[in-house]
Amino acid sequence: MNELIRGADLTILVYFLVLNSFYALLLVLSIPEIWEQTRLADDEDFQRLMQSDALPPITILVPAYNEQKTIEASVTAILTLHYRNYEVVVVNDGSKDDTLEALRHAFDLYEIPRTYPETIPTRPLRALYRSRTRTRLTVIDKENGGKADTLNAAINASRFPLVIAVDADTLIEEDALLRLTRPFLLGRQIAAVGGTVRVANGCVVQDGRVTDARVPRGFLAGVQVAEYLRAFMFGRLGWNRLGGNLIISGAFGLFRKDHLLAVGGYDATSTVEDLDLVVRLHRYLRRHKIRYEIPFIPDPVAWTEVPETLRVLGRQRERWQRGLVAAMWRYRGMLFNPRYGRVGLIAVPFYTFGEMFAPLVEVFGYAITVVGLAAGAVNVSFALLFVLVAWGYGMLLSLWAVVLEEVSFRRYRRVSDLARLVLFATLENFGYRQCGVWWRLRAFLSVWRRKHVWGDMTRKGFEPATK
Amino acid sequence: MTALHFLAVVALAQGILLAALLILIVLNRWFRLRRRARIHPRRLAVEGVMQRWALGQTALGVVLVQLARLPVPLAVDALVTWSARVPGDRWRQLAGALEREWWARIIRSNSRSARWWKRLECARFLSVAATPGDTSRVLKLLRDPHPAVHIAAVATLERLQSGALATAALERLPSLAPTVSSYYAAMLRRSRAVVVQLLLPKLRRTDDPALPRFAEFAARLQEPVLREPLTALAAHGDGEVRVQVARGLGSLPHAASLAALTRLMADALWPVRAQAARSLGMLADPASLAGLCAILRDPDWWVRLRAGLALTRFGAAGRNALLEADVGADANARNMAHLVLGLSPQALAEYAT
Repeated sequence: MNELIRGADLTILVYFLVLNSFYALLLVLSIPEIWEQTRLADDEDFQRLMQSDALPPITILVPAYNEQKTIEASVTAILTLHYRNYEVVVVNDGSKDDTLEALRHAFDLYEIPRTYPETIPTRPLRALYRSRTRTRLTVIDKENGGKADTLNAAINASRFPLVIAVDADTLIEEDALLRLTRPFLLGRQIAAVGGTVRVANGCVVQDGRVTDARVPRGFLAGVQVAEYLRAFMFGRLGWNRLGGNLIISGAFGLFRKDHLLAVGGYDATSTVEDLDLVVRLHRYLRRHKIRYEIPFIPDPVAWTEVPETLRVLGRQRERWQRGLVAAMWRYRGMLFNPRYGRVGLIAVPFYTFGEMFAPLVEVFGYAITVVGLAAGAVNVSFALLFVLVAWGYGMLLSLWAVVLEEVSFRRYRRVSDLARLVLFATLENFGYRQCGVWWRLRAFLSVWRRKHVWGDMTRKGFEPATK
Repeated sequence: MTALHFLAVVALAQGILLAALLILIVLNRWFRLRRRARIHPRRLAVEGVMQRWALGQTALGVVLVQLARLPVPLAVDALVTWSARVPGDRWRQLAGALEREWWARIIRSNSRSARWWKRLECARFLSVAATPGDTSRVLKLLRDPHPAVHIAAVATLERLQSGALATAALERLPSLAPTVSSYYAAMLRRSRAVVVQLLLPKLRRTDDPALPRFAEFAARLQEPVLREPLTALAAHGDGEVRVQVARGLGSLPHAASLAALTRLMADALWPVRAQAARSLGMLADPASLAGLCAILRDPDWWVRLRAGLALTRFGAAGRNALLEADVGADANARNMAHLVLGLSPQALAEYAT
């Protein structure tokens, strides 16, 4: 029995060693990538780009559900982005509040007939509006069908070859669209491109823009700053070099519309529609032998509000994990399938065994270590080793992400913010990590019981600039 | 090795790494703050001097001195920023004076560098400060394998009129991705006179696989000299060429354009028919009204939409035609006429773009 416990503990230790080493590999791969991207970003001539008509036209898709209080400010901020040729399609997804009225009042909407075919089937549209004051703006009012259905309705109405889905409560930096089109301007075969999502909690916001980036003082929001940095700064950048970005954030990702239409748009039955869509895109493009890239570029930034209570955060993480489980199950045919190249051989196996099963392995590891200690099967040194490999390694990786941020973009200018960031990166593995494991475990239970709840995101909203 | 030994090694390694990372973060911040404190006043000085020089309040020599005090990448940034704000003649004086500056010579020599970012810096510099003596350097950069480098280099065409450069850029145009091709086209348009002469023989090579791209570029130029070769391509076998011809002729009013567009309205491909309808709307010649009314019954929705929108550009005659279709026998034409008649003038103006 003791041998069995020791063997299981050792296996789990090796699992974490391999997993964290893979993260370290992503980190190493992200270094040349971030260097190249920073060089290109520094040398970009936005003035000339804005004057040229080479910039590809973009449709910004904005799903809105019960956003009455914030919709005017959000849409106004989107309408004042620095980009030459774009339109904004706001879709009111059958809101129960006065979102549509707020839009109608703010932008002087008038009803127009529908002038496009319904390429992707969606819930029925009630009406289509244009604005008298903002010619770039189209508003669709439709019956409630969820975020994916809403985005599909917006894709149908879009006129331009590139579309970007943006949450109504996401704050996009003024030049983010210009930066996001860089891979297209470099002539690459782009199917989709993702930008960085950062945490807006604690930042100073003015007219829908983050004017002063701050690290929040609260533990829960602060630790998510470190978490987002790690996920974006080296997680996704590293995947660029491995050719398999499986996630383009639903809050900020640019897609080629023809590919979206070819795969039937967003899946209205998925709880994590962005992951599902990107995996489906990979599958479609690989199957049809279409040359493509789905890169992540770090300098276009959108800011989003993250949950500040355990309850809301738990629901969010549970939903993400549920979506991951559903997607990995749905696309299990890609697992270790050489037909899908590096996506099938590296990315999907990593997301399956490294991301999806990680909470199960981790909780099993805790349990077996405690049992092993009690039974005398493992000694204290071994238990500490487990902790160091599982947590210590993770802490180092979070700090590396802070280093990458510091040598590249340095959004947090104040020394106090940097100190807080280092502190949160260090503390992330103590308490917060274990909560995450618990929430993700609950997701397995939900999947088992076939319980699908989106979970409302309770937002505080952004306060006007006050220091 | 026992678990204790292993633990000691891992703990030590992690401890060292942790300390190294913390030191790295602190040192990096400290160096950057120091550097900023040193460089920022110089940047402000360059801004001030450039402004005074642009207004004719200071001598060129002072600008050169201040630029030389900046690190090279920042000096290039300053040049790129100010190139759009200073009148052409004055800027040419600065470009000429920069030929003799030591740091500008180093940048120029970077056109042969093995490192792409050095070549990019050179291309950016030459895009605003090239002189006729730089033609061979820019030509080399235009053929650079790194996209950022040749895209930066093509911007030189904005300031330097050169047949050799225009030819090189035009030759590269068909092989580029659509967005890059658009950027090249935008730059080539600045050398219109040279480019038109280069384009004419290319439009006559009907078996050239690059013809659709050249036809697209010709359509964008809206140059009357190109009307004849474009009209001749209206019967070309490649549908993409015919689409571009239809697009180009919409901005070249002439009886031959009308005749070609009327023929293209009967094309087998719907994108050609839709584009021909749109272009006939842009020309708004009364002779094409009947053809547009007929194509309002087209089996393709997009062609009907384009025909309906085109009719709105004919004033009262077009509106009457739509009203007639609105109560006509053909269901397709009726629906489209109804839709177009319901559009506000603002929506119509947006569709026209």
